[in-house]
Amino acid sequence: MTATPAWLASIEALFNRGIAGSAEASALAQRLNATMIRIEVHGITAVEASVMGGRLALLAAGSKTEAAAEVATGTSGARAGSTTADATIAGSPLALLRLVRGGPTRRDPAAAAQVRGDAQIADSYRRLFALARPDLEEELSRVVGDLPARRLAQFGARSFAWALRAQRTAGDNVAEYLQEESRDLVNRAELEEFLRGVDAVRDTAERIEARLKRLERMPKGPPA
Amino acid sequence: MNDTDRTADFGFEKVAWNEKAGRVREVFASVAGKYDVMNDLMSFGVHRLWKQFALSLTGLRPGQQALDVAGGTGDLALGMLRQVGKTGRVVLSDINSSMLERGRDRLLDAGLVGNVECLVADAERLPFDDNAFDCVMIGFGLRNVTDKAAALRSMHRVLKPGGQLLVLEFSTPVAPGLKPFYDAYSFKVLPLLGRFVAKDAASYRYLAESIRMHPNQETLLDMLRTAGFDQARYHNLSGGIVALHRGYKI
Repeated sequence: MTATPAWLASIEALFNRGIAGSAEASALAQRLNATMIRIEVHGITAVEASVMGGRLALLAAGSKTEAAAEVATGTSGARAGSTTADATIAGSPLALLRLVRGGPTRRDPAAAAQVRGDAQIADSYRRLFALARPDLEEELSRVVGDLPARRLAQFGARSFAWALRAQRTAGDNVAEYLQEESRDLVNRAELEEFLRGVDAVRDTAERIEARLKRLERMPKGPPA
Repeated sequence: MNDTDRTADFGFEKVAWNEKAGRVREVFASVAGKYDVMNDLMSFGVHRLWKQFALSLTGLRPGQQALDVAGGTGDLALGMLRQVGKTGRVVLSDINSSMLERGRDRLLDAGLVGNVECLVADAERLPFDDNAFDCVMIGFGLRNVTDKAAALRSMHRVLKPGGQLLVLEFSTPVAPGLKPFYDAYSFKVLPLLGRFVAKDAASYRYLAESIRMHPNQETLLDMLRTAGFDQARYHNLSGGIVALHRGYKI
């Protein structure tokens, strides 16, 4: 086998702390004993997540440990047989994050997370990750203490909100410049007026066409 | 084969099986006073990050019991004490009393008393009941043990079911291009540092040699499995200069 990356071990430790700290997550982890799912983060990595003894193990896909092998062959668990993951969850990092949070899925199927295999196990893992999701402020407090962690978390939240506002304002400013100053784009009122004009021309053309057809259908004879 | 016929590696030297523990004890008795300073100098302080990473994976919670084997000057025990809190217990053990004294003094200076015990103990024959600890850690100690398999079995015995062993140890560099620089540093710079700072070049030559004779990542992983550990795996740190092996007693 190959080494398990250290960053994956750190994430695993965070989730296991979350599992240990939540009775619901612990019970769910016990129910998921000896199961495995594969998580494909598009363009970044693939990870195999398994639960053994009520503990989550995360491995880079392909680096099979004894634990994963046991899960796969069912040698130490209730499940026997299969040599592959029970389910696969694939998607972009944002789609996977949305899935864990249980937020609305995107209408565009390509942008949403995709689930293959045993959907019930996949959903149980989704709930496990949601229940054991690390509390960043709590994790920070383990390093720097409670008060600085609180202050840093507040600062982080304010910074994030400011960044979102700044992004929105910058977008509005660029759009306004392109519409009002450089005139590379039309503004909404002009666009709607133009579209109304197009509609009017189309309607007029259709009326003229109908009138011409009616004239063509009229019997041809000497003028009265 | 009895112990009088067997040999053990003492760096690149072969010594009688029974002689190694004494030779290692001499090395660490000689460097104990400058051990922490030398660690910082030799690793440019990175050993603190390696230890922090190991501590982050203990899974210890307040009220639990932990054992630091070959704990020396006690920095891992200190970290574990913070994790188990006042209601937990940590045992700091080392075969070398000089190193252990440093560790005990450091814990006392940090105001940590009452739920920590320090005792001289041989990793191959740990003097504890079966199923006594939630976590056992050995940091930069296993390569100095004469019978590593016996030490792993002993650590497995004292772990509670569900408990975890963490072995933090120098290993084999895997990052491309790292090995020539690492070898040059180990065999040229380390003995010089030892000579000027710890006034003991030979002990630091032993350090470099003992690292080379220590089992590589995969071999140690197999040894963990043979000793009975489940879910055994390892993480390379700093390109494999150090590896953290983990295994559970199920």
